[in-house]
Amino acid sequence: MAEAIWEVSSEGAVPIRAEAEVLRNVSEGPSSWRLVLRVPSWPGFRPGQFAMLSAGAQQAVRRTDPLLPRPMAVYRAEAGAEGFDVEILYKIAGRGTALRVAIVGPLGKAFPPPRSGERVIIVAGGTGIASVYELAARLAGAHPVEILFGARTASDLMALEDFEALKIPLQVATEDGSAGVRGLVTDLLETALEAPTPGSGRRVYVCGPTAMMRRCAEIASENEAPCIAALENAMACGFGVCLGCAAPLREGGYALVCRDGPAFDAALIDWERLP
Amino acid sequence: MKESQAVDTTVDLGGISLRNPVLTASGTFGYGTEFAPFLDLRRIGGFVAKSLTLEPRVGNPPPRIAEAPSGMLNAISLENVGVEAFIGEKLPAIPEGVTVIASAFETDIDRYAEVCKRLTGVPRIAGLEINASCPHVKSGGIEFGQDPAVLGQLVRATRQATSLPLLVKLSPNVTHIAEMARVCEGEGASGISLINAVQALEVDPETRRPLLANGLGGLSGPAIRPIALRMVWQASQAVSIPICGIGGIISAADAVKFLLCGATAVQVGTSNYLQPSIAADVADGLVEYAKRHGIPRIRDLVGELEFPSR
Ligand SMILES: Cc1cc2nc3c(=O)[nH]c(=O)nc-3n(C[C@H](O)[C@H](O)[C@H](O)COP(=O)(O)O)c2cc1C
Ligand code: FES
Repeated sequence: MAEAIWEVSSEGAVPIRAEAEVLRNVSEGPSSWRLVLRVPSWPGFRPGQFAMLSAGAQQAVRRTDPLLPRPMAVYRAEAGAEGFDVEILYKIAGRGTALRVAIVGPLGKAFPPPRSGERVIIVAGGTGIASVYELAARLAGAHPVEILFGARTASDLMALEDFEALKIPLQVATEDGSAGVRGLVTDLLETALEAPTPGSGRRVYVCGPTAMMRRCAEIASENEAPCIAALENAMACGFGVCLGCAAPLREGGYALVCRDGPAFDAALIDWERLP
Repeated sequence: MKESQAVDTTVDLGGISLRNPVLTASGTFGYGTEFAPFLDLRRIGGFVAKSLTLEPRVGNPPPRIAEAPSGMLNAISLENVGVEAFIGEKLPAIPEGVTVIASAFETDIDRYAEVCKRLTGVPRIAGLEINASCPHVKSGGIEFGQDPAVLGQLVRATRQATSLPLLVKLSPNVTHIAEMARVCEGEGASGISLINAVQALEVDPETRRPLLANGLGGLSGPAIRPIALRMVWQASQAVSIPICGIGGIISAADAVKFLLCGATAVQVGTSNYLQPSIAADVADGLVEYAKRHGIPRIRDLVGELEFPSR
């Protein structure tokens, strides 16, 4: 098995900037949407990378409210007949649909890949689910990997069928018990890490609400498992110039989530000071 | 003027000659190289780099940014790589032929002057911009640019510290911008840049707390453009040194508005985030505008606002 499955550094893949055509923007339940954008070129992307999107960019009068673009995980991307189709999963409280969307990406560093043979546990909740699909898809069949999803209620879960199609063990926890087991996904992680792991150790990847990531980081550290967390800070630029996306570090100072992350070794983050 | 004739886009901004009047604003363009994937830096007049202090600085705790209607709030504070790293690492990475203006900010006047001294004589730097929107510790935290006496001392000290063209970037958080502009002119500034972000507050009604960890922040983007135009116009009525207009520019039409109000050049700020090649599009759009209106030289537009006489 290959030692490194993908490169982590953000160097190499030059991000594109394009006015993308919206091929599809379909509802995936009460609050999630699946957006498929067609772009003329695409440099490929690695698990954990994101793009900055702004709606309706190519109108005669540029839309200024909301002004800032939004960081969105690149869910999936594939070559199509006339360009490339970039898929985005997002949650939003109804902001009109746009025919065109400006996209800048892929941006940020990838998740560091697991070491050979390491047992991988992916934990995700909320929009974090969109950040881990590519990770799961690349590891499926190549690595021992399992997925734990958490949500308040069943309808908050996104894209379950896509993950099921990867044929990876998947467990769900909802706070109201409407899907999977009733409880918190962090409880599932505790149980998963209690199970003895022979051989090459294990590694946790997590993306979701801050409280969830912080608790996963604690559990992983108690069990001496490395934990990689993909942060979801607010961003203005997405490529390291506004300094708006700072994440506090335990050793002091800050890292930029858009440039130094979004994926970080969870042990480096000062979770108490992260909003 | 014939359609085919080339439009003269060059301007002289207080001794800094620019290939066209569109610059990018400090703090919104990093150290320049971050934009390389998105635009050829030679398509714009130049850029003002992130403001520099003597030593590297760490910024404010998060959240540092927040959404506002047609704008954004920021409270980044002094975070920057420091003047030495800028000269040693950032400048050499900027392609030849790109006009670089360095920006200085500090917490006291001597340190401002030190930064200016250090940046003087460095080959790639075409001019300096003094960011006067910094809290002045000795005056109890009000901005240098908010007190005409303090502003005067700052301009005098930095003017003495450098032989480079010196732009003073004014704070909009004042009652009489014309007075501040006159102080700069009187102390020998080569030009003035305005406006910096407008002091603002946004609140989360659920938590009853400000959205920014710092409490107050600076509002930028199209929301402030009419305020900026008003201030540029008032300043241009008061002084004869050139003005660099800043605030919410998102199109060539916006840039034209600033030129009409008396700006010799403009800076594009927050909109670099929405569309990283926007400054070059604004520069191209100015040429189209000039052709459409039969104007041979962009600089002929400066101050051509037909303001109702009173
Ligand atoms: C995130 C951010 C950081 C900024 N940092 C600086 C800075 O370091 N120095 C400075 O003079 N102005 C700084 N500014 C102000 C801009 O240069 C500009 O004056 C202001 O944003 C208004 O222009 P705009 O509406 O086009 O953004 C900053 C603005 C933003 C949004
Ligand atoms: S979002 Fe601008 S620096 Fe990270």
